[in-house]
Amino acid sequence: MILRPGTALWLLGHELRLFRRTALASGAHGGKGRRGWRIVGGGAAVWLALHAGVYFVLRAAGASTLSFGAPPHGFVIAAGAILLATFLFMLSSALKASVEALFDRGDMDLLLSSPLSSRSIFSVKLAGIVVGITALYLFFLAPFAHVGLLLGQLRWLAVYPVLLALAALAASMAMLLTLALVRWLGARRTRVVAQVIGALAGALLFLLSQAGSFMSRDDGAPAPSALARMMGAGGTIDADSLVWLPARAALGEPVAVVLVAVAGLLAAWATVGLTHRFFVHGLQQAASTSRAATRPGSIRYRFDRSLIETIVVKEWRLIWRDPHLISQVLLQLLYLLPLCFLIFSKNAPHIAVTGVGLTMLCGSLSSALAWIVLLAEDAPDLLQSSPANAATVRVAKLAAAVAPVLLLAAAPLAWLTLQEPLAGAFAAMTVCGAAASAALITLWTGRATTRSEFKSRGKRNIATSLLDVCSLLGWAALAWLLLRAPGAAVQGDLAVLGMGAAFAVVLAVLFFAWLLRNRSR
Amino acid sequence: MMQSPALALSGLHKHFGRPAVDGLDLTVRRGELYALLGPNGAGKTTTLRMVAGLLAPDAGRIEVLGIDLARDAAAAKRRMAYLPDDPMLYGKLNPVEYLEFVAGLWGVDARTAEPRARELLDWLDLARHAHELTEGFSRGMKQKLALAGALIHEPELLILDEPLTGLDAAAARQVKDLLLSHVEGGGTVILTTHILEVAERLAQRIGIIQHGRLIAQGTLEELRKQAPGATLEDMFLQLTGGA
Repeated sequence: MILRPGTALWLLGHELRLFRRTALASGAHGGKGRRGWRIVGGGAAVWLALHAGVYFVLRAAGASTLSFGAPPHGFVIAAGAILLATFLFMLSSALKASVEALFDRGDMDLLLSSPLSSRSIFSVKLAGIVVGITALYLFFLAPFAHVGLLLGQLRWLAVYPVLLALAALAASMAMLLTLALVRWLGARRTRVVAQVIGALAGALLFLLSQAGSFMSRDDGAPAPSALARMMGAGGTIDADSLVWLPARAALGEPVAVVLVAVAGLLAAWATVGLTHRFFVHGLQQAASTSRAATRPGSIRYRFDRSLIETIVVKEWRLIWRDPHLISQVLLQLLYLLPLCFLIFSKNAPHIAVTGVGLTMLCGSLSSALAWIVLLAEDAPDLLQSSPANAATVRVAKLAAAVAPVLLLAAAPLAWLTLQEPLAGAFAAMTVCGAAASAALITLWTGRATTRSEFKSRGKRNIATSLLDVCSLLGWAALAWLLLRAPGAAVQGDLAVLGMGAAFAVVLAVLFFAWLLRNRSR
Repeated sequence: MMQSPALALSGLHKHFGRPAVDGLDLTVRRGELYALLGPNGAGKTTTLRMVAGLLAPDAGRIEVLGIDLARDAAAAKRRMAYLPDDPMLYGKLNPVEYLEFVAGLWGVDARTAEPRARELLDWLDLARHAHELTEGFSRGMKQKLALAGALIHEPELLILDEPLTGLDAAAARQVKDLLLSHVEGGGTVILTTHILEVAERLAQRIGIIQHGRLIAQGTLEELRKQAPGATLEDMFLQLTGGA
């Protein structure tokens, strides 16, 4: 069928073609088409393997013996949990896509200058987000529908419309939230806030699971059993609760399927109808934020800093003023929250776990900052053509990367020291060691790159990533052995042996990284 | 005692699979504005990057203001500045912060750097944008700020790769005035350009480079003597085989 040029459907076809080609090209990492098709082949193999895995799981769960009536509550709960996780991840992806639609303008100037209506353009952009998200999550969940078909559960094909409806709901919520943020906070702040919310949505499940395992009820019962009580007969979210509607829809209950599909369609229709004009306004606002200013007032000239101070201040300014980068780095801090549950739980504080967590967090933050400061230098030619001593520049950059991490760790370390001075000292040692090692590994083995590569930095340099992980694990093991019984740890022969081994691993990793530096430079 | 030239290149070689600079000999006198012309891929940028210390030559010798670059690169760099064709600025810094950073790299004393920064920002019409982050600057504004950065330590030798590309008429005039003023003040400027009219109007001497070798050199009059009645464009095309 040939669609009439200029219609919304024709534009949607164009978007889908771009989506397909971008997906293939990203798989090929800029290589030739043949490599892209190899990636597709690999993806298909993984997809088939997923089918096999799902088949064994569902057979073991007795899916082939289910009758045509209402699905058992156990299946509903399992489907509900999977769909909750999927929806949170969908929301996260949709927020990212909404921000991209607003800020990474791409073809927006071309589209908005054409005679197409803003409603058509917005509908197509929203539909593009929905299709993109649906395709991604169908990859993981469609095997349940296909295997269900094999096991005689034809109705599980409802996974398709349910995922599409959930994607429409997530995309609508994300777009409404992004546009609301533009209205309340302005376009500049929206980008960061939306990204943080998106990341929070993605990490919510992890945080909830961690909170659940650390928090206990007043009567001493652990949180999971309290949850089971809520889901049991007569509980607030028992089998009849509306909470399970999407799960029942995915398992093929006709009324539930219709309700979920209508909810998704209504959400998308209302979003387009209510906000297509504001979307254009948001685009204009986003475009007008390129001229950002630093603090107004009289200009301060500070030419009296030393070389090291000049470099450190410059690096911190560049990081501080790049909210996109900050949000990506600080996302790692989300995983500090479970540590807070540990520290402030009613039970005795888990000093060893806290120390290990802090050590790993500081090591990984230091690695991220070192990557930005040392490898993603915006003007390497300027530094190289200056008479500044290269070693001094490197030292200043290392300081700029490690100092904020140690500053961040200072408060929890002080708390640990107050609780148990020896443990505090041990933790400070492993935190400093992990942070310094991570920065040195990046310095010695990293390759120069650009800041836009931050998210994919792990894939770009496998050697650095591996050494980083080994170093982190070594320091974490050392922290665990030192902190699990700070006073007595040094007395046990096995503990001393373990500590020696962990320290040897760390030293070996550093030595190997240093050797790599000699080869590459 | 005879003063050493601003730049002396002898037998300079650089290969990237094929020769990019192939036995280049070139001398630029102090206090002159020298334009290096050549078709795309002739080796102009590679030559300038080697002089700036960004690329190591495979063979040959580079002397900047009498200093052997291979022996004391820092001393040579202290007295020169290099401006690439697409200078990278830090998008998240404002012009004053950028100049602070560059002055810090060159170790310029605060008492000298601050008035110099004010003067340059005023001169290049950037003072009113002093609060703005450079990420929002136009190509011309970025080029002017990069030039201000190159001039903050008052270099004796200024090396510019295509400094006028992408500038509007007003910005181009400002940059040209600044370069002429630098030469009038006793400094030396070496620039590459595709705009032959710029070389014709600004340069005291012109060098034409092709396949990494100097194929012609001299003042405009000296070059014209080789082909009477021809314009610089005619001569350039004739020499480089583009006609």
